[in-house]
Amino acid sequence: MGLVSNIGSLPTALSAASAETSAAGFARAGIALEGVTVTYRGTVALQALDLSVAPGEILALIGPSGSGKTTALRAVAGFVKPTAGRIRLGGADVTDLAPYRRHIGMVVQHYALFEHMRVQDNVAFGLRARGAKPLAIAGRVAECLELVGMAEYANRFPRELSGGQQQRVAIARALAVRPRVLLLDEPLSALDASLRSSMVDEIIRLHHELPDLTVLYVTHDQSEALTLADRIGVMNQSRLVSVGPAREIYHRPPCLFTAEFLGSANLLPVTHACSDEPTGTAVVKFRGHYLRATAPRGTVRSGDRATLCIRPHDLRVGEGAETDNKVRGSLKRSQWVGSAFRLFVDVNGLEIRADAPRHDCGTIPESGGAVTLHFAADDTTLIPEVHSANGD
Amino acid sequence: MLLHSRSVRVTAWGVLAILFIGIFGLPLLMVFLSSIAGQWNGIFPTGLTLHHYVTAFHGATARHLQTSVITAAGASSLALVIGTWGALANRGRKRAVSRVVDGLFMIPIAVPSVSVGLGLLVAFSRPPVLLNGTAYIVLAAHTVIVVAFAYGTVSSGLARLSSDQELVAASLGARPGYVLWRVTLPLLRPQLIAAASLSFALSMGELGATIMLYPPGWVTLPVGIFALSDRGSVSEASALTVLLLAMTGAGLSLLSLARSRAPASH
Amino acid sequence: MAIESLPLSAVRATLEKGRSPWSLLPPMTAIGLLFYYPLSLIVSQALTSNSGAWSIAVARRTLTSRLFRRALARTLEIALSSTAGCLLLGLALALVVSFVPFRGAALLARTVDAFLAFPSFLIALALTFLYGSAGIINAGLMALMHTSVAPLDFLYSPAGVILAEITFYTPFAMRPLLAGFATVRREQLEIASSLGAGPGRIVREIILPAAVPALLAGGSLCLLLTLNEFGIVLFISAKGVITLPMLIYEKAIQEFDYSAACVIALVDIALSLTLYALYRLLLARSRGGDAAAL
Repeated sequence: MGLVSNIGSLPTALSAASAETSAAGFARAGIALEGVTVTYRGTVALQALDLSVAPGEILALIGPSGSGKTTALRAVAGFVKPTAGRIRLGGADVTDLAPYRRHIGMVVQHYALFEHMRVQDNVAFGLRARGAKPLAIAGRVAECLELVGMAEYANRFPRELSGGQQQRVAIARALAVRPRVLLLDEPLSALDASLRSSMVDEIIRLHHELPDLTVLYVTHDQSEALTLADRIGVMNQSRLVSVGPAREIYHRPPCLFTAEFLGSANLLPVTHACSDEPTGTAVVKFRGHYLRATAPRGTVRSGDRATLCIRPHDLRVGEGAETDNKVRGSLKRSQWVGSAFRLFVDVNGLEIRADAPRHDCGTIPESGGAVTLHFAADDTTLIPEVHSANGD
Repeated sequence: MLLHSRSVRVTAWGVLAILFIGIFGLPLLMVFLSSIAGQWNGIFPTGLTLHHYVTAFHGATARHLQTSVITAAGASSLALVIGTWGALANRGRKRAVSRVVDGLFMIPIAVPSVSVGLGLLVAFSRPPVLLNGTAYIVLAAHTVIVVAFAYGTVSSGLARLSSDQELVAASLGARPGYVLWRVTLPLLRPQLIAAASLSFALSMGELGATIMLYPPGWVTLPVGIFALSDRGSVSEASALTVLLLAMTGAGLSLLSLARSRAPASH
Repeated sequence: MAIESLPLSAVRATLEKGRSPWSLLPPMTAIGLLFYYPLSLIVSQALTSNSGAWSIAVARRTLTSRLFRRALARTLEIALSSTAGCLLLGLALALVVSFVPFRGAALLARTVDAFLAFPSFLIALALTFLYGSAGIINAGLMALMHTSVAPLDFLYSPAGVILAEITFYTPFAMRPLLAGFATVRREQLEIASSLGAGPGRIVREIILPAAVPALLAGGSLCLLLTLNEFGIVLFISAKGVITLPMLIYEKAIQEFDYSAACVIALVDIALSLTLYALYRLLLARSRGGDAAAL
């Protein structure tokens, strides 16, 4: 699961490091949700959501079920009316506009192709609905089917196609009307795991060919999000918990929830000991070990509690270099997961998970044996305890 | 999901409400109003009274009530037995055979009820089996008409029944008869009750066949209502109609009580 | 049978052994006696002359009579008009109930179901109170227009019968439609909307194609039922509105001409059976064939 270097293709208008949106960002936004609240029969499905997606950007919205990500997408589409807040597409306020006037494209989990129409009629549907001329329709349909690689299936019925093929037709159908915004609601969840990775590549390729298309991609699969997205928004319990560039959010999760939800993480409860300004690190105390971690933003005082986040694949077995952090413990059990050995190490009562690459296996002890794990300060994130209300 | 603006939606609901009340609610209201009307010469009935209901419970019309209920109870019981037996016996047979049997049971619905009456009249008006002039010919007519519905309801219930429980019972050593009585029929209880309810209601309201062959001593409620209406006693006819609906409703409620005590189906 | 675990196939075989062909005999004998035997007698009576020999004289006489032909035409006219009305009304109602959802829509659909058990003459009775010469609307109009002649008398004509039949049989058309509409997935409507289709186009291009099988099945059922409707016609007793079932009744009960009655009954039965076969075919196509459900 490598992180694709599609960040280079991002429009330069995006600010890279900040995890918060700025007011200036709204004006240029492909999609903007401003303070959108959605209440349905007493339950709050979305709480004051502020989110923007820049023109040409792919933003992935992830979160557990019920976190409100699908509601957010449906609000942008117009199928859910916000109780408060505004929704803008390309700068224009569309909050009171019916869905069929918003000029969007939508792809859903179960394809929703029109079963009684052939593939080409499915793709042509939106064009016909908007009154395009027959000649223009035929050309555009061919073009879109070519784009998704389904040109030979133009005359078939949806029931004759496999899941992946149907989804491609659904994408072609959405793109045929040249929408300014493409909304994808868990488009790959109904497909076999083996098909999903090739479909992810398809979507990335499509986005390269259509650089002006703004994409909002909702999924519960964070590996899809990490592969596809320029920026990721993490939602939990109807709120937006974190948002920022994919790499940044993965490498430096701003809060506990994001740390745990996006990728797996070891969360060590630590106490801040002192800061080392020049190196940008802080020294923290963890159950008798002294560890060096990347300093968090904002001021932290000595003695404050915090959580140290270190991902399993950043932990290595052995002593490591002088400057590395070391923790010692005993091996509880190990699992072989194909590409790595998953070690569960007991360090003073806390279970730490390390994913050791196969070629380290020579150094792996028996269950119950002593293990030393080492990791670099740069791979850690320190999350102070009193953080914003969203994440925990 | 189809209409997005609230005002359009409210309009649609408004039209729906008007159509619904106008078509389904108004007739019932009319009949009910007429049944309690002393006089109805103008736009509204005057002199609201329960007199018609009192009359209904005395004299000849009281017997109509009794006759209808007895016939309906008898016909629906017979139809239930015949229909259930047929549905059970048809289960698991070769497709060609089972479709023929299905057809044979369901055809009586397709045919006009008047001709069912005519047929029975022609068939049983002479020896050796003389039913003409007795209550039994009415019972026979109602049973024929209603058996198809009973069969249909039980059949569709059987189709949806998975045979697992019966197979397990058999594997535990139960004889087919025992499995039928202790496993299959209890599992079918909701459908049996539904079939009985439907049959009862349809028999209570049956007119076409009954009017062809009812003997003077066995007048059902619908025939009585027609006689009154034909004579011009519309208010009495309305009162009897309301009673018919009430009886039917009571019968259905009783049966649904039995249904709610049935074991929860899968 | 021993109480040890048997292989499933053996168990199944044992269960089915109790299912001998003879088990079908009693119920089939019952309906044979009560329905098919009388039916055969109708056929034979229709084709027998007074002397008892086979003859189509009675049949020919009856079928060529003006009375019969007029009754046949009238029956078809009423049945077709009523069916058309039921389908239109049923479609409109089913569309709103299914696609402009409101709380209690399910309850409403079930109330519609309850109507199936009511007797049809209920409607006829009710309409006389509304539109009859002594009914509310006429009374109101007479007061408004200061006349003593009832202005509305369409009730005692085919139009009245058609109105009554539409009122009574629309639920029969609505049921398959509601079931058919339930299969339209909400996502398809939403995507169609996102692609730019307004409500009108969505109904035309997405919903109605899904309704066609249900419309055909419901339509053929309504046609069958209105063809054979007796109670409504009897209660309205309009002059000049004679349908086939009414004719059978008159011939048999009022004129004691059983042979003629049987001939007419035969025609009616043949017509009904054809329509019923058509209905079952269309129903199977629309649902994938739940064999014994109505």
